[in-house]
Amino acid sequence: MPTGGLPRERDGAGRRSAAPAGAVKLVVAELAGVGVLLGIIEIALGATAVHDPWWTIVLWPAAAWIYLLAGIAAWRRRPYNRIGPLLIAAGFVLLASGLVGDEPAIEAIALIVATLPYALVVHLLHAFPSGRLQGRLSVLTVAAGYAVCLLLQVPQYLFGPETALQVADRPDLADAALRLQWTAGSAVMVVTAVILARRVRDADPSERRALGGLYLYGILAVLLVPLSSQVARAWTDEVSVWLGVAQLGIVAGVAVAFLAAMVRGGFARSARIEELAAWLAGDMRAGELRDVLAEALGDPTVELLYWAPDRGRHLDVDGRPVALPDAPTRAVVDVSHGDRKVGAIVHDRALAGDEGLVRAAGRAVALAFDNERLMADLRASREALRASRARIVAAADDERRRIARDLHDGLQARLLLLAVHANGVRTDAQASAQVRARARELEAGLDEAITELRELAQGVVPAALTERGLAAALEDLLDRVPIPSRLEVGGVTRTALRGAAESTAYFVVSEAVANAVKHAGARELDVAVRLSDGWLRVEVRDDGAGGARLGDGAGLRSMADRVEALGGEVAIASEPGGGTCVAARIPALARHGVDLLDRATGPADR
Amino acid sequence: MRVVVAEDQALLREGLVLVLERDGFEVVGTAGDGPDLVRKARAHKPDAVVADIRMPPTQTDEGLRAALEIRQTHPQIAILLLSQHVQRRLAQELLEQAGAVGGTGYLLKQRIVDGETFCSDLRRICRGASVLDPEVVATMLGRARRDDPIERLTPRRREVLALMAEGWTNAAIARRLTLTEKAVLKHVAHVYQELGLTTHPDEHRRVRAVIQYLGR
Repeated sequence: MPTGGLPRERDGAGRRSAAPAGAVKLVVAELAGVGVLLGIIEIALGATAVHDPWWTIVLWPAAAWIYLLAGIAAWRRRPYNRIGPLLIAAGFVLLASGLVGDEPAIEAIALIVATLPYALVVHLLHAFPSGRLQGRLSVLTVAAGYAVCLLLQVPQYLFGPETALQVADRPDLADAALRLQWTAGSAVMVVTAVILARRVRDADPSERRALGGLYLYGILAVLLVPLSSQVARAWTDEVSVWLGVAQLGIVAGVAVAFLAAMVRGGFARSARIEELAAWLAGDMRAGELRDVLAEALGDPTVELLYWAPDRGRHLDVDGRPVALPDAPTRAVVDVSHGDRKVGAIVHDRALAGDEGLVRAAGRAVALAFDNERLMADLRASREALRASRARIVAAADDERRRIARDLHDGLQARLLLLAVHANGVRTDAQASAQVRARARELEAGLDEAITELRELAQGVVPAALTERGLAAALEDLLDRVPIPSRLEVGGVTRTALRGAAESTAYFVVSEAVANAVKHAGARELDVAVRLSDGWLRVEVRDDGAGGARLGDGAGLRSMADRVEALGGEVAIASEPGGGTCVAARIPALARHGVDLLDRATGPADR
Repeated sequence: MRVVVAEDQALLREGLVLVLERDGFEVVGTAGDGPDLVRKARAHKPDAVVADIRMPPTQTDEGLRAALEIRQTHPQIAILLLSQHVQRRLAQELLEQAGAVGGTGYLLKQRIVDGETFCSDLRRICRGASVLDPEVVATMLGRARRDDPIERLTPRRREVLALMAEGWTNAAIARRLTLTEKAVLKHVAHVYQELGLTTHPDEHRRVRAVIQYLGR
């Protein structure tokens, strides 16, 4: 299964999804560092330039840090959710708007973004909980908010009191802009309050619990800000520091409310489902479904079971059959695609809580689920196939050894005994010359038969292989080959390796050597056998004509089939005129439930 | 001559006993597996042990191991091992293990058919000679080698070399090849020289030297 970790941006389609958790951590750390640094710089600047009480200098950085904190926490917990980045952006904007200093550049920045924090707060409130704006009215309202804070700010610093950006001294224009800003801004706030109130009204009880507090505070906040300005203006003509502090406090409170909503686990159902949908539409990678669901449901113990209809049971992700859990703490929710059951989500009853949420999540990912189900089913079939092939090879190997043994123990012994009797007649002084002559023929004939039988048995399974192991058997094989050869055997002790793996290795070498002698006209052979890391590696090199391919000879092909059936690999490197190298690698340990070592045919059976 | 026979195959065991007794050997004990062989040999202290290499319990080389064990405590007991199929490495190991004592043989099972030759080989082994099956010698001689002095030997000398490896005395070689013993001696000396072997007084050591040479 692919591991996560590296960020991936969308390709060509042009969409960008939020970065997955791995990359986020790095970016978050960097942002946090930058934020803290800027805040400190701001405080330092303020200390030199401002004559108000000392604590006013830290107000803006403090508020900004609250937003950064909330944003970082949100982004880490829900990487697919845009609330995090928005909160962080608001934090940086607050920092910018709180800049004080004598430098004209610094003053300019602060003037331009003076009211931008409010626009961000409005955006945040509209986008909660999923991080995306829903509905045209929301989008328009938020856009209007940005316009009010950015565009209507312009006349105020162009024509207002003397500042770095002043173009002309026209207090009348500045005032008109200010009043327009106040009116438009209030309208935005009121519409926002109405929208939030409607959402609270339309939410179902569990959502209302989670969102209610935040929305309520949000509504109050957006109404109080313009209201407090009006009230203060009615009271006094000056803009007091306390008014600014109060409004800043209200704004900072929004971040605190977001933090509180999150800590209480309050990212509501729609947010989680939307995050799932975002993952499906964007970064979806095979094998990640369980992790993404665990994140979305807030339950790290989530398990996915896939339904195999032809088997009538559930499979796990590796294709192995599993039973439904019946522990009281585990709950099971079925997942269907259309009207077809595709699997089940097993979750901790306490953690993921609300069955409706789990069901909704299941519906959202039903298609991905079905895909993973097909993969699991495929893996199960493949495993079953491998296991059966390995069993066939092991069984064939057992058969061979049995046949060789029967030939040797049974038939050859009888023939020997007959020959001994024939010899007895031949050497019997009392028999006639004729009889003795016939007995000699018999004896000779039997001797030949015995030799043939021996060679037949040797071809089925070489005696040395059974008696002394692979190294000795290969030595004997190469001794009888008409061209010089070198044999290197490493790590293969008799006890470490027996059974089907050993015979297969022997026959691979035997076949490769036969080909080298018969077809390639080789003049030299190099055979190397090594047992390491649980793999038996075999290499046969010759300096013959080359040009061999795996499909060419039936013998080599069937050897390759056996090797592959045991879970190994065969490769041939053969350039025309450049010799041939047949290399095979066979697992030496038990695989697929088939013991490749000497198993049931132990000493007692032989 | 007293013999202990070790063979787990009943039919074959009978055949062996038959051949040996026909030729005048006294079979004082029979064994059906490795440990049993060691016990019987130690109990009866025969002149020789004739054993199948492949026996229970492991059905691998129990016979060989039992023989080596016997040799440790009773080096004077001659040992003849019988095998389904002869292996070069085993021949070499056997000769190594025999050390200076000699009295070791390694033959194919089917050699028991020719009772006369078989028993005479056994007697030689009891007298301290080493005997190797012609087939294992032929294989060792026949091994393809890169640029080898053996290639340079005349066919006659190669025959002599083969018989030397099988453990024949000079006199026996002379009879077999219808040569005079003097001629055989000359051939033998030449072979030694050609292969760079040091001369050995007795046949057993000669076998060992030749087999060592052939096995490298």
